[in-house]
Amino acid sequence: MTTTQSPPRVSGDGGSPRRGGRRDRMPGVGAGEKAVGLINGGFLLLWGLITALPLLWAILSSFKTNGEFRVDPLGLPSGVQVDNFSRAWSAANIGQYFLNSVIVVSISLTLTMLFGAMGAYVLARYDFPGNRFLYYLFVGGLVLPVFLALVPMFFVVRNLGSLPVVGQFLGLNSYLSLALVYVAFSMPFTVFFLTAFFRTLPTSVAEAGIMDGCSHFSLFWKVMLPMARPGMISLALFNFLGHWNQYVLPLVIMQDGDKRVLAQGLGTLAATTGFRADWTALFAGLVIALLPVLIVYIVFQKQVQAGLTAGVLK
Amino acid sequence: MATVTFDKATRIYPGTDKPAVDALDLAIEDGEFLVLVGPSGCGKSTSLRMLAGLEEVDGGAIRIGDRDVTHMPPKDRDIAMVFQNYALYPHMTVADNMGFALKIAGVSKDEIRRRVGDAAKLLDLTEYLDRKPKALSGGQRQRVAMGRAIVREPQVFLMDEPLSNLDAKLRVSTRTQIASLQRRLGITTVYVTHDQVEAMTMGDRVAVLNAGLLQQVDSPLGLYDKPSNVFVAGFIGSPAMNIATFDVKDGRATLGNADVAIPASIAAKVAEEGSDTVVLGFRPESLTPASSEETGGIPVLVDVVEELGSDAYVYGRPAGPAAEEQADRLRSDQIIARVEPRNAPQKGEKINFTVRQGSEHFFSVKTGERLEP
Repeated sequence: MTTTQSPPRVSGDGGSPRRGGRRDRMPGVGAGEKAVGLINGGFLLLWGLITALPLLWAILSSFKTNGEFRVDPLGLPSGVQVDNFSRAWSAANIGQYFLNSVIVVSISLTLTMLFGAMGAYVLARYDFPGNRFLYYLFVGGLVLPVFLALVPMFFVVRNLGSLPVVGQFLGLNSYLSLALVYVAFSMPFTVFFLTAFFRTLPTSVAEAGIMDGCSHFSLFWKVMLPMARPGMISLALFNFLGHWNQYVLPLVIMQDGDKRVLAQGLGTLAATTGFRADWTALFAGLVIALLPVLIVYIVFQKQVQAGLTAGVLK
Repeated sequence: MATVTFDKATRIYPGTDKPAVDALDLAIEDGEFLVLVGPSGCGKSTSLRMLAGLEEVDGGAIRIGDRDVTHMPPKDRDIAMVFQNYALYPHMTVADNMGFALKIAGVSKDEIRRRVGDAAKLLDLTEYLDRKPKALSGGQRQRVAMGRAIVREPQVFLMDEPLSNLDAKLRVSTRTQIASLQRRLGITTVYVTHDQVEAMTMGDRVAVLNAGLLQQVDSPLGLYDKPSNVFVAGFIGSPAMNIATFDVKDGRATLGNADVAIPASIAAKVAEEGSDTVVLGFRPESLTPASSEETGGIPVLVDVVEELGSDAYVYGRPAGPAAEEQADRLRSDQIIARVEPRNAPQKGEKINFTVRQGSEHFFSVKTGERLEP
């Protein structure tokens, strides 16, 4: 935001624009704009509160005893009840679910970014017959609602389990199956976004790589992919959140109690604690589920912004 | 080190009929600095990219030394290129940028470090080796791009307007640096520019292209003194040559009040063509203000005077009763003349210029080709 430049003012004494002295007003900011600014700020504040307060409430509640919670649900905790977390972790099996989520998401995220980047790169930078067709085939996946695909997907995944050799890794209740399903569902947006991103990278740098002796593969790995880092990171983040919070897909595929992922675990926890009225353990489980997302956001905040305003060296 | 030969090399972009480069015939000597120059869209960059292997060759052949590289992939051609926007790898340090080609080629780490170090010393980049390109100034980036080409010790350097992103002052100093570096390394260089001053100052020889066709290849002075057609005459030289179509009559070329004596041989050649007009060109420095009693000459009304200290240029338009006809036949909007810098005329003055004998350039009206007296 520049405040050092003022529009040339025409005044009686010759009209040279004055600098310094009092602080120059921002061009185009009058009383009306100020009011709009206040309303905007107020709206943002309100929105921030609506988002943040339930989160804070959940975190605070996870430190209370069940007694405290029942008496005064909105009050502050008297002490830190670490017991809630251990109950959620072990008794409600959140630990196992957490591990399951980590395994599935690390497979799915790696594969999504790998295949997404490779596909998008080829679609963005190589001209071949059928390029557009393939691109629209990918992007067409965006219009497919997950719920519509649930039943056929169930049968496909179940039948994959009876394939020879690879069947033992696939089928229902398999980490790899769930990860592959995640990959399939996140591919359309990944390809859509990364194709646009790879297009913005300067052709001359790719040509410089070719002149320097790169093969197609080394050009992709050593030159283009590192240059696409901002876009890759923001998209990986987006996919991470999507995969981590996925509920419907694991519900269909992970039916075995031991293989359930965190979102399912929380669902179960919510159902069972409802009867036992162990609310604080539920909140503790929620906080455990939330933490990785929160950490990822905090750590990669800069990259998210960089990805959105992705700039390459001119 | 090697020669470079374009042998009727042609490039037709898909979806167009007109070739971007039309049967280019050009032989570049070993160790020569050849500049390709022309207006934008003339095919100079395309020619360079054909040599680089970044553009397909639709007809003819390109050879480096004795090797036919027409359909060879760029990495097998043993060439290095400097791009207009430098095309540095933004995620690598300066040292990695310069050593990347060697790394790909599998050169040992010690050897890479030694060669990068040598090139950095040559280009005054030693203290920047650990920086990323975005932490460098435009001039430093340009030098890194040069260094990336130098460390490869290729047979041919290709440069695609490498100075156009620098400011005017830096461009002039870098220009001489590149030229002297090339002389020292002795590596055959093909250099593309749209700036004819760059072309004239840097090249051993200059090739002028227009609309995909090679117009003339010659030394800078050769182009200046004997342009082979009207296009080259108008393109080379700054300020540009004055060019107009004159009527030929009784051994004189006339255009309204302008009147220039021409050699008999030119008059004969014009007559031979079956024409009674000739394209006459004269450079700004060939015009001298005439004393009033002299007959003939070209009356000019002064519009603008550019005083540069060492030179002064008069920009004017034709004066006199037939001024309108003269302006129509003039190739540019104005007549430019160099005058004494300490004795420059005023705006609005009317001056009679005469063309110094023997410094006129004559071109055929029909073909645009040069007519030698």
